[in-house]
Amino acid sequence: MNFRRIMAIAVVAAGGFWAVAAQAEETVMWWDFLGGGDGVRMKQMIADFNTAHAGKIKIDATTLEWGTPFYAKVQTSVAVGEAPDVMTYHASRIPLAVSQDILEEITPDDMSKMGLSASDFAQTTMGAVTVDGKQYAVPLDTHPIVLYYNRVLLKKAGVLGDDGRPMGMKNKEEFTATLQKLKDAGVEFPLGSVTADGNFMYRTIYSLVCQQGGELLTGNEFLAGDNGKKLANALAVLQGWTKAGLQSTYTDYPATVALFTSGKAAMMINGVWEVPTMTDLAKQGKLFDWGAVEIPVIFDKPCTYADSHSFAIPKNKGKEISPEKRAAVLEVISWMDKHSLFWATAGHIPAYKPVTETAEYKAMQPNATYSPLTANMIFDPKSPKAGVAGPIFDIMSNYFVPTLNGEMDPGEAVKSIKEELNSM
Amino acid sequence: MLRNSRTERLVALVLVAPFLAIYLLAFVYPTVQMFRISFTDAPLIGAGQWVGLDNYLRLDNDPMFRRAVWNTAYFVLMTVIPGTLIALLIALGVSRLKGRFQATVLALFFLPYILPVSVVYLIWDWTLNFQFGIAMHVLDWLGIPRVPVFKSRAWFLPAVAGVTIWWTAGFSILLFLAGLRSIPVEIYEAAALDNSTRWTTFRRITWPLLWPITSLVLTIQLILQLKIFDQVYLFSIGGRPNDNMVLVYYVFQKAFQQNQGGRAAAVAVTLFVLVVVVSVLQFQLLRLAERRRR
Amino acid sequence: MNAMAAQRWTFWGGIITALTLVWAILWAFPLYWGVISSLKPDDEVIRPYIELWPETPTLENYISAVTTTQIGTWYVNSVAVAIGVTVITIFISMLCGYAISQLRFPGRIALWWLILASFMVPTSALIINHFVLVANLGLLNSWAGIMLPQLIHPVIIIVYKQFFDQVPKDFREAAVMDNASEFGILFKIYVPMNWGVTTALSIVCFIWTWNAFLWPFLSVTRTEMMTITVGITQVNDAFGVYYARQLSAAVLAGLPVALAYLFFQRRVTEAITLSAGIKG
Repeated sequence: MNFRRIMAIAVVAAGGFWAVAAQAEETVMWWDFLGGGDGVRMKQMIADFNTAHAGKIKIDATTLEWGTPFYAKVQTSVAVGEAPDVMTYHASRIPLAVSQDILEEITPDDMSKMGLSASDFAQTTMGAVTVDGKQYAVPLDTHPIVLYYNRVLLKKAGVLGDDGRPMGMKNKEEFTATLQKLKDAGVEFPLGSVTADGNFMYRTIYSLVCQQGGELLTGNEFLAGDNGKKLANALAVLQGWTKAGLQSTYTDYPATVALFTSGKAAMMINGVWEVPTMTDLAKQGKLFDWGAVEIPVIFDKPCTYADSHSFAIPKNKGKEISPEKRAAVLEVISWMDKHSLFWATAGHIPAYKPVTETAEYKAMQPNATYSPLTANMIFDPKSPKAGVAGPIFDIMSNYFVPTLNGEMDPGEAVKSIKEELNSM
Repeated sequence: MLRNSRTERLVALVLVAPFLAIYLLAFVYPTVQMFRISFTDAPLIGAGQWVGLDNYLRLDNDPMFRRAVWNTAYFVLMTVIPGTLIALLIALGVSRLKGRFQATVLALFFLPYILPVSVVYLIWDWTLNFQFGIAMHVLDWLGIPRVPVFKSRAWFLPAVAGVTIWWTAGFSILLFLAGLRSIPVEIYEAAALDNSTRWTTFRRITWPLLWPITSLVLTIQLILQLKIFDQVYLFSIGGRPNDNMVLVYYVFQKAFQQNQGGRAAAVAVTLFVLVVVVSVLQFQLLRLAERRRR
Repeated sequence: MNAMAAQRWTFWGGIITALTLVWAILWAFPLYWGVISSLKPDDEVIRPYIELWPETPTLENYISAVTTTQIGTWYVNSVAVAIGVTVITIFISMLCGYAISQLRFPGRIALWWLILASFMVPTSALIINHFVLVANLGLLNSWAGIMLPQLIHPVIIIVYKQFFDQVPKDFREAAVMDNASEFGILFKIYVPMNWGVTTALSIVCFIWTWNAFLWPFLSVTRTEMMTITVGITQVNDAFGVYYARQLSAAVLAGLPVALAYLFFQRRVTEAITLSAGIKG
């Protein structure tokens, strides 16, 4: 047997195959941080995209851990030219990313190639991905936090309204009374809260500050004037619930979801991205009758924190993206936005208006129930210090855990937060 | 014997070369680089400006660095000596057993050591889970309030230290067992004839004869535990990493999360020097202790 | 310990044996609990009371771990990296240990001290520059990149040197008389005479590499390049009650080494004691 000849044939065959594949198919490296129920939806969308573009574009997706781990990996891999071709990015973090110079600009030309225009998106959302007049990402969705509830438990405790929604959503006293009634009815945790992880509580707390008309950043000063007091008020309410035994303590994210889905917590404040977890469990017959509504008004006016998932193109050091690859990336982004009706089943509110205007979207549940809250949304302050896993996030989160679990006085926490934020 | 010394040198060079090449590339070069960039303001990747001792002076005023040093010291304190004592106790217990029974009991104590740290993390995170962990059910049953082990500042490091002892004890147990086996039976028989008590036998015979092993275990443990990162990182996920800061974690955070290579290197150099100084000191101390014993 | 002592102290001896046994069972209990929990369906996992055996044992968590993660790929990566590091480390250390033990060459003493000294140097302090080095070599997200910084294990050279020192000189002299080359002497005499040492050191090196976390965690960003130790913590589907699914991944990650240990218990324990420089 002529070994050398066989090898030669094998090499030629492999080489030929590779050449054909390289010509015909562009592989787009994709990173996201979508690990929950919405991650399952995203994997489905990626599979659909790959089927629709078979032989032309293939998405090679990696899901990394949400938050600090994800953004740390992005930062280091951009620096060494190992970053992906496209990635999901929180709009709140765009100013920080731009200051680190790790994102490619999305030019008006890119937008027109994708068949998208600025007017397809809400002004606030578009504003969130724009820094100094330049656009750095394409918004995919808006994702506020909502109040999930267990109708069975609420009904048992007599706090389920005739409209199928929780009672006592108008002010602090009423809502606390609702929690108390649940407690009296034998519910272990009336409210499930991610009290072990300040990153998640930031959203609830920021919403409560906004409900008092407060803001985080005034000009260049953090918690100026009575904003510190407003933050303390927000923390005091949550700490009060902890002290009264109305809220789960030292609970990390997975435990919070598990407490709610197992019926140990009657309500849960969490992002809309857990909607698919609920719908999927319900479909398997493993969940009670549940609902999701806008978070209660605890102070003066309704207000809910929201952020936006967007698509960004990393600026890989020393590795220019080829025009073919860039075209493929734009096709990916464009396709995802235009097919974001399915993304809405992940609970998110699509950013692409032509999708939210369809009758199909408007009829979608539970999105339709909580979508009125879009009128009361607040985003992070636009600053290179803001954003998921950014410095503000980090500093505030450090003090939230001890405060929420009753280790630290709210006033004391606010004092330290203010000092640290302003000395950055 | 006749030796052709030139050939011998050549052969030696060829034999030593592969190791030396890798050693220079993966050890000496990075070490030199670490010292060098600690005097610059370089990011993780890329060059920086020379800033002299700035990065070091900054550490003096850095509360997070102080916390990292303190936590590392605290962790070492809670693992090295207690861990060694526990391993010794277990080894004494196991050494009394025989044959298959001994092998089985030893296996139960030893198994954790061969598991990857992430498996150890998942198992203990589950066992001590504040909401669903079996340990909490036991506390409930005993009427003791539940403890948020990995979520509170006071409990975190002691708990991680406990898990670390559980994880690494197997190694020390084996060393102690080897040491115990090498003590001649005749010595014990003589002690028995003297009617000495169990405790005297241990104090007069076992402990002194075991001292070389004990000091070895202490040294290995010390060097190992100063480098603590994995467990602290993993158990801090979804919790309070800044409260649980240790030195290697701080290097990681500065370099890989905040992109400050120069400042991170200054922390790394500090750790490097600390480990070397502490191990030399401990080596001297143990030698002294040994000499006094003689 | 010894027969006479045992006779005299039977009562207390019995108590101590019993305590040791109870302690051992408690010690290993978390392992048992992890395995058992991974065999329970979601709702049983979080029941508010203790059930030491699953009511309806299920493999669905394992099926989910295998189908929704790339655990198979991680296995391949872990095995490849662990074997690669073991083979290379053992080989270069064997050569170097032999040279230091048997040959006279300038710098021999200096090299020996260097190796002894690097025993106490913390490699985790070098992560920054390891990262820069491996990035500059273009080896991030590759097996070679994961392996490179893990190839330094001075203790293996130390053990080899000690064992080669003990080989009686007659063997060597006879071989030299026969005009055997140094390589011949090493591979035909010294290595075969110390097969036990090589096996033991290989086992230890394999375990160390298989269990390594920090470096693989830093140098890999792509899911398909992760080792199993990193993979099972980096990828989580926090979907409903996810504990059992995570634990099943943990069991899959720990099982190969655990089984290997249970089958070759004596060899592994010998290997470990040897790696500390103690001859068992």
